[in-house]
Amino acid sequence: MSRLELIGINKRFGDQIAVSDFSLTVEDGELVSFLGPSGCGKTTTLRMTAGFESPDSGAVIVDGVDVTDLPPNKRGMGMVFQGYALFPNMTAAENVEFGLAVRKRPAAERQTRVAELLDLFGLARVAESYPHQMSGGQQQRVALARAVAIQPGVLLLDEPLSAVDAKVREELRTEIRRMQVQLHITTILVTHDQSEALSISDRVVVMSRGAIEEVGTPTQIYAEPRSAFTAGFIGAMNEIPVRIVSGAGGVVERGGRRVTAPGAAGLVDGDLAMLLIRPELLEPLGSTGGSLNGDLTVTGRVEVQTFLGATTRLLLAELPANPDDRSVLPAARRLAVDVPSATAGRWPAGSELAVRIPVAASRVIADGTAIQPGGHA
Amino acid sequence: MSGTSIAGEATEETLPAMIVAAEKAGKARRRVNRGPRVPVWAIVVLTLSAVYFLLPLYATAVYGFSNGKHFTLQPLWDGLGDPGFQTSLRLSLFYSVLTTLLALAVVAPTAYMVELRFQRLRSTIEFLSILPFVIPPIILVVGLSSMYGIKSPVNLLASSWAPVLLMGGYFILTLPFTFRAIDNALRAVDVRTLTEASSSLGAGTIRTFMKVIVPSISLGLVSAALLAFTTAMGEFTLAALLGYPTFPVYLLNVNGWQPHMGEALVLVSFLITWAGVIALAAVARRTPGTQVVRGGPM
Ligand SMILES: Nc1ncnc2c1ncn2[C@@H]1O[C@H](COP(=O)(O)OP(=O)(O)OP(=O)(O)O)[C@@H](O)[C@H]1O
Ligand SMILES: [Mg+2]
Repeated sequence: MSRLELIGINKRFGDQIAVSDFSLTVEDGELVSFLGPSGCGKTTTLRMTAGFESPDSGAVIVDGVDVTDLPPNKRGMGMVFQGYALFPNMTAAENVEFGLAVRKRPAAERQTRVAELLDLFGLARVAESYPHQMSGGQQQRVALARAVAIQPGVLLLDEPLSAVDAKVREELRTEIRRMQVQLHITTILVTHDQSEALSISDRVVVMSRGAIEEVGTPTQIYAEPRSAFTAGFIGAMNEIPVRIVSGAGGVVERGGRRVTAPGAAGLVDGDLAMLLIRPELLEPLGSTGGSLNGDLTVTGRVEVQTFLGATTRLLLAELPANPDDRSVLPAARRLAVDVPSATAGRWPAGSELAVRIPVAASRVIADGTAIQPGGHA
Repeated sequence: MSGTSIAGEATEETLPAMIVAAEKAGKARRRVNRGPRVPVWAIVVLTLSAVYFLLPLYATAVYGFSNGKHFTLQPLWDGLGDPGFQTSLRLSLFYSVLTTLLALAVVAPTAYMVELRFQRLRSTIEFLSILPFVIPPIILVVGLSSMYGIKSPVNLLASSWAPVLLMGGYFILTLPFTFRAIDNALRAVDVRTLTEASSSLGAGTIRTFMKVIVPSISLGLVSAALLAFTTAMGEFTLAALLGYPTFPVYLLNVNGWQPHMGEALVLVSFLITWAGVIALAAVARRTPGTQVVRGGPM
């Protein structure tokens, strides 16, 4: 119900930088996720938005009004905490009613509103239960209903689903999205679960070391990551070393083959670079060799098979096609290849496998920018 | 956290929690028909301590309900009818209740603010709160009377402020108990997050304290109240040396010239204290949410 702007926010704790130069606009009714490894400053940013911490510099603006110096209880933002933070001495209904009572709404209005919300979140049955009598999922729903009850301009969710089990988590995240769209609440969701971020957000903010790494729609973030950090953080990603032949033409070379690859344009001729490709995009070619127009191939020995359900992941150690090559180009560390589980039997551990790299679906980035996510945390 | 574990062993030390725990144990025993056998040594220890505690009580009763020759309730009726008994008991109750209220009103908000905002002051406050253990009441009373006594220019004793002096003394004496009980309760709930949750819903500090924090630590508050009340009810040194004729002071005097009546009244005071303990424990048990201290998600 509001447009939220965070402008140039910085925050240190002692000499540690928690958030640096964070700027973001969340549009009215939009759901934006903050995604990043532990300690990257997600919670701190959220707490500054809510008013529980004050930024060293920068501004928080809601609907054009600067609220940077307003205390949390004057900001009208709803917040859901990681540990729920339900009031233990109040029933579910009383918890939801609290914010309305603070606002001195008439009793009749409060009751209808509480009943509506308990209904919306499927809590009618536990209305009179105390938090310790409820399941984790129910407590979570109460926390949401309580935050939403005050009709907040902005809803802030700090890892709201981290304390419930996997199945409930999936259910609840859909429910959060449904509710958020229905009530049209501007929402920030903090999470370090990428599937959560990708599945229910309008946009995802990938953070690393207190700064924004990348902002984009879930599709953009997943399919066309602009940084190696994002690429590595979101889903599994293969990094295959290539050499830039022509930065002007976007041509790279590997194993003596030259291909035009997305992202290679503008890189320095002769430099090493990384070609990024998802495991599910690699295609087995059979036992050996073979190549196709404009694509690369890698041949390797299957080391391990990991069953993932519908697919099976093969871990491939590359066999240098040409010993000379090795001195020029480092081999890929290990290649993950996802194949349908039904066919995985064809490549038992120890067997040889050649895969095609559909270069058009890959992305080349300069080497050295490749950061292993979490490695610095 | 499992529903059976008791978070914060601290609250366990306190009386109402012990009562709750004992009840739980009782329930558990009723549910299981043939529980594990109670070891012999446990029975021996229990019997010995029961004897150790109950024997004096019995002796007091025997002596109190006798005129030196045979059993009679006369000393009890004499005592209850004695105007000295009534005024001194009233005085003691007055000071104990006020001390209790003062302790709750001062310690609870202080401990809350320390927990919430001034963590750095915690060790200082903790140290201050246990000073009464280090400084015996006799030192305290000497200090108080030279500061505010008859010979001092700030003679509170002779003014209408006299009650404040004893209350202040009692407040200090009860600090180690009250601060500990309340602080433990505060630490068992996630004060900071609860406060932030309340604040995000629009509540200010006072409302948050009264509506969210106080009910969440009610068990600790009851413990603190109990400890403050019983300490003040039984305090002798301060009252005697500052010249307040409270119940313990009266009892000592009476014992000198009417020993049977004195002993009978000792039993009465024992019953009064226990009635208070049980009443407060009953309050604690009926407070919703007190279980959360041991079973919440946090
Ligand atoms: N109150 C504080 N005092 C000192 N340092 C802090 C404080 N709060 C956060 N930090 C530091 O700031 C950095 C960012 O912390 P923050 O809690 O925002 O990370 P996060 O992204 O939410 O991590 P997580 O996913 O583990 O919750 C961390 O390095 C953390 O140690
Ligand atoms: Mg966090």
